[in-house]
Formats: sequence, structure tokens, C-alpha cells
Amino acid sequence: MVLLWQVLANGILLGGLYALMALGLALVWGVLNIVNLAHGAFIMLGAYVCYYLFTVFHVDPFAALPAAMVVLFVVGYSLQRNVLNLIIRAPMFNTLLLTFGFEVVLTNLAQMIFSADYRTINPSYAGANFNLFGATIPLARILAFTTGLLLTSCLWFFLLKARLGRAIRATAQNLIAARLYGVETRKIYAITFGLGAALAGAAGDLYGLVSQINPYIGGSLTAKSFAICIIGGLQNPLGVVVGGIFLGVVESLTALYLGPTYTDVASFGILVLVLVLRPTGLLGRTA
Amino acid sequence: MNPSLRWFALFGTLAILVAVPWIAPATWVQFGISTLMLATLAQSWSIIGGYTGYASFGGSVFYGLGSYGTAIAMIEYHLPFGVGLILGALVAVTFAVLIGLPVLRLRGHYFAIATLALAQVVPAIVSNLDIAGRNIGLILPLLRNDALFYESALGLLVITTLSIWYISRSRFGFGLMAIRENEDAAAAMGVNTTLYKTLAFAIAALFSALSGGIHAYWITYIDPGGEFDITLNVKMIIMAVFGGPGSVLGPIAGAFLLSGVSEILSFKISSVASLFFGLVIVIAVVLMPRGLADLWHRYKKLGLHYFSENIRENRV
Repeated sequence: MVLLWQVLANGILLGGLYALMALGLALVWGVLNIVNLAHGAFIMLGAYVCYYLFTVFHVDPFAALPAAMVVLFVVGYSLQRNVLNLIIRAPMFNTLLLTFGFEVVLTNLAQMIFSADYRTINPSYAGANFNLFGATIPLARILAFTTGLLLTSCLWFFLLKARLGRAIRATAQNLIAARLYGVETRKIYAITFGLGAALAGAAGDLYGLVSQINPYIGGSLTAKSFAICIIGGLQNPLGVVVGGIFLGVVESLTALYLGPTYTDVASFGILVLVLVLRPTGLLGRTA
Repeated sequence: MNPSLRWFALFGTLAILVAVPWIAPATWVQFGISTLMLATLAQSWSIIGGYTGYASFGGSVFYGLGSYGTAIAMIEYHLPFGVGLILGALVAVTFAVLIGLPVLRLRGHYFAIATLALAQVVPAIVSNLDIAGRNIGLILPLLRNDALFYESALGLLVITTLSIWYISRSRFGFGLMAIRENEDAAAAMGVNTTLYKTLAFAIAALFSALSGGIHAYWITYIDPGGEFDITLNVKMIIMAVFGGPGSVLGPIAGAFLLSGVSEILSFKISSVASLFFGLVIVIAVVLMPRGLADLWHRYKKLGLHYFSENIRENRV
């Protein structure tokens, strides 16, 4: 029973981070209709920003979080403004391919600059943990979990209330009407993509805190983020939280009961099932 | 080019390709085998992705099933290679039909992601099966005859291309293109969309599986990571899209050109080869989004305006 609770707690904590990972992908997908295959590479870059700030300038990973977000925002904004905007109206396949091209370029640049070595970020509290109803909870993980949820709710309020957030939602709903009301779509697209990248940067910063990093982590993180978006649905940020926690719990439970080699079977099997049975996500409205 | 000259060029190229094992060094033959296989994969992707408009990321599943089916038939049941190849293809086609029926109901990104998920699930299952050698993989009987493998790969590519050429001018092919342009309208016009889509998926699976079977016997050692390689999907898609999906020869041109470029680059400057490959993708998608086939047809008329015309058409 204690073991089960421990595994559940691990899964939920992992899920908070997963939610933040998928959030940026869901935002870009929902608003721009771009499935960004470079999303994992953005997460990887965020992790390296955190790593270098920590090892070279001794900046705490949580203090480095805004820096990672700003750097990735700039990367995302300029990629959308100068490249993606040129083909945004082409068939969906071209945007998919283009972002794959970004992935290849970023991963290989990272390998040339940062080397392929595994890196870890070890702040003084890395080993600290506390006991919650018998389960051991690492401090870094619960901090990452809370930050993830906090950023997710910030984004929700931003989209709901802020003028810019409403312009983004308007663009997603009806491009032509938004344009007629004076929304500058080119800029909104770039800002949205930049925001998505910034969220990936934040996720990467926290990912570096709880796991090892190298330039190649991007691919599998993109796949996971996909799965979460599908399970949760794209309608609102809450879906991503549910999807993230769901995936985290499923992965932990499968690792416990079926063995670690089955985690991918379980998570992606569920993804296929959800797609076929409920294409709008677990929380989505039925058509 | 007038028609007779075009046929002459086509058969000339084919004759040179056939002769490669006897006139070129051994490394060229090996490079040729893998390029021909990639070209076959790009072609089979073009059936479902180019003609039908369903962006499948699951080609690696059928490639891997074909290769594992062939290997298991040869090792466990001591069957000859030809029989194993057919059995492997049969497994892949059956799987394509069974999985295609539910998955082909999804559209757009959703179909792409469901197939991508399958590309992750199937190797994970295979690496837990005893008969497939789990994570360790299987070792096939050794046959050192690169010329034979080269000619079979070339033969398979020719058969695939002829099938696509035939499909592209058949009633079935027009049905697929109608589905790509507007599935609801196609259904309203009496196209049995479920049957057509599933058939296209199965045909794509058939050619991928045959290619996988030849690869397994050639490489002699197979493991889940290598035969169900997910990047294979991306490779075949890029080659098909770069060449021009939905054209008969485009994907082959894309496969040869991109394999050639990446081979030259990794020979000269190995570290930046992949980086350059990524840049090529980005530039190609922005400047020629409909692939080489379209460039070939329209560049003559438009010249350099062709590129700015593409950008003007698709930007915001």
C-alpha cells in the first residue's frame, strides 16, 4: 500500500512537469495549427541555459527560469517571424517538415557547442526530501511540480483576461475577423510561437533539475508532449494538466506492475486508444 | 523534352543502375542498396501520404514487421528467403488492414500522431517477445552477395514505381486523389473511402515490408532499434516531399538527391553533415514547398520568380 502510494506520488509529481512540457506545444498547435516537432529541442535548450547559468554563474535553477524563458522566447519569436510565417498557409505537411528541420539544426548545433556528454544540475537541495503519509517526496520535484502548475494557471489567466491573450484567442478562432478588428496577425503568430518556446524553456529548466540532460533528449520529449496534448485535448490548459498527470501516473504504475520495458507500450497504446475512441481528448466535448 | 528522348533517358538511367554492381566499387554498391531501399520507402509513403493525403508516420512499423517476419521464418522455421519475404509481407499487410480500419478514421494531424504512436508501440512490444529475440535481436544466415541484394532492391523499386504509375492512372488512383482533395465530397460521389484508404495503406505496407525483408537478410543482424527506427519515417517523408509527393518519379529523385548530399557531406565534413541536412530541409520547404517535380515543371516558365511566387502564396 505504501509502495502504491509512493508510486502514485511519483507519477503525479512527474505529471506536473509533463503538463508544463506539453503546454507550449498545445498553445502553438491550438492557435497556429502547427505541430512543432522542434518543441523537444526547445526544452533541451532551456535545460542548457539553466545548466550554464548554474555551473558558470552559480545561479539557482529557479532564479534561472525567467532567463531560460526569455532566451527561448527570442529564439521562438525570430523563427516564426522570419521563417515559419513564410509558409504558414502551405499544407500542414510543410510546417511539420519545417519544424523537423529546426529540430535537426538545433540538436546538431547543441551537440557541436555543448558536446554530447550527459550533464546534471545539482543544487545544494538536490538530495533533500521529506515524508508525506509514508511516501518520500524529493524537494526539487515538488518545487518543479508547483512551478509547472503555477505557470500553467498564469497562461490560462493571460489568455482569458489580458488584451494580448484575447488577441491570440481571437486569431485562433477566426483569422479574418481578428484581422478586421485590427489584430496584427504576423506579430501575434510570432508572439504565440515565442510564448510556446518560452514555456518549453521553463519546462527544460525544471527538467534539468530532476533528470540528466544531453542534446538528444528532444525527440522523446516531443513525443511525450504530443501524447499529453492528445490525452488532455487542446481546448484549455486544464486539459494539459490532466493529460500530464495521467501520463505520469500511468508510466509509474506500468513500471511497477508490468516492468519498465512496458512504459512506452502503455503510454502510446493509451494515446492510440484515446485518439480512436475520443479524438477530442479525455476532457473534450463529444462531437 | 520530347517523349522518345524521355523514354531514352529513363531506360538509359535504368541500364546504368542495373550495371552498378559490375562497374562500381563495393562501397558504391552498399550505398546503392540503402539508397534504393529508402527510395522504395519514399515511394510507398507517397501512396498513402502523397496520393491519399494521409500523412503516415508509421512506415517504419511495416518495414520492421517485414524484416522481423522474414527473419523469424528463416531462423525458427528454416524456410527459404523467398518464402520468408512473402510471410513477412503478409504479416505487415494483415496488420495494416487491422490497424488501418480504426486509425484511418482519424484525419489530419490526428492520423499523423496515431501512426507515430504506433511506430513507438510496435517496437516496444517486439522487444518483449521471446520469438523475436527481445532486445538482443536476431542473427540471420550469412549471405555475402551484395550484387544480388542490390539487384533485388532495384527490382523492388521498379515494381513499386510501376505499381504507382499504374495506380496513378487507374480508377482506384483517382479515387485516392479525390479523398486527398476532399474526402466528404469523394464519399458523396460514391467512392468507398474506407475501402480505398485501407487498400492504399495496405499497399504502402506491402512495399515497405518487402524492403524491410531484403534489408534483414542483407544486414544479417536485426534488433528492434534498427529495424523499427523512427527516424526512418521522417527520412522517407522528407525524401518524398522534397521530390514531390503524388508524382511517379519525384520521391525517387528526392531519395537519390538527399542520400547523395548526405553521403558526400558525411564523407567530407562529418560533424556538420546533419546540421546541413536540417538547413536543406528548411530552405527546401520555404522555397519549393511542392517538391522537385513542381520545380521541374514550373521553373522553366517562371525562372527565379518561382521561389518568390511560392513565398507570396503561403506567407501571412
